[in-house]
Amino acid sequence: MSASLAPECNEVKERYDSCFLKWYSEKYLRGKGTEDECAPLFQNYKKCLAAVLKERGIDKMLEEAREDHKDSDSLNMRGK
Amino acid sequence: MKVFSNDCTFDYSWEEVSTANWRKYCPWNDKSTHVIAVDTLSRSVDATTGILRTERLITCKQSAPKWLNSLMGGNETSHVYEISYVDPASKKVTMVSSNMTFSNILNVQETVVYKPASATQTRFEQQAKITALCGGWQKIKNAVEEASVTRFSENAKTGREGFEAVLEMSRRVFSEEKKKEQNIQSGQKMVA
Repeated sequence: MSASLAPECNEVKERYDSCFLKWYSEKYLRGKGTEDECAPLFQNYKKCLAAVLKERGIDKMLEEAREDHKDSDSLNMRGK
Repeated sequence: MKVFSNDCTFDYSWEEVSTANWRKYCPWNDKSTHVIAVDTLSRSVDATTGILRTERLITCKQSAPKWLNSLMGGNETSHVYEISYVDPASKKVTMVSSNMTFSNILNVQETVVYKPASATQTRFEQQAKITALCGGWQKIKNAVEEASVTRFSENAKTGREGFEAVLEMSRRVFSEEKKKEQNIQSGQKMVA
């Protein structure tokens, strides 16, 4: 998969991405994706990334972006 | 505001396309060189609808036309925020994204939808709304919007080509892995 904007997070990201892709194609799309098996790996990756986002001030930009997109969920989370 | 829209059909099932979508900017895609990083910020499955909601941060590096350099301060790196929704019940992927960087100059809001066209084909529909927010005469704003539409269209074209390469590679890797599994299984039967 693609690289992270933080090279120091590439390894933990790769592990998470591989887990997610396997879960997505083999379980989630077949209706068996109830458990989040990749959660521990995601936590490791997220921890690494959060530090870098804060350092570069991207976390503040994200807050604004989320605010701009606040109507998106109500439009797209309705389901059938 | 200018609107750019684009649609096409991929000769792959919706399941293959929605899976490969997560790898669109992996090294198999050597066309979308402007995308230098993709990070996942959050991911959750809605307990009621089963919809998978993902937030991602996409980092791009691309030079702008020289006349825009003063507006952009010579900065070539930008970030895009994306929320996507996968609804496996209705077989629909919806992706909504907008630029975080240069948001005082330009606002680009993109929506992408992937839906099955048939059991073996997937329809891709893309729309981008581009609005110049920089101060100045309408002429300048128009020029900024036009340049953005042109660049967006070029990126969309290379994006499609790159994605086709990822889809082909994904299918090949999947079938090779399946063959390996079958060989192992038949090998085990022979030994047994």
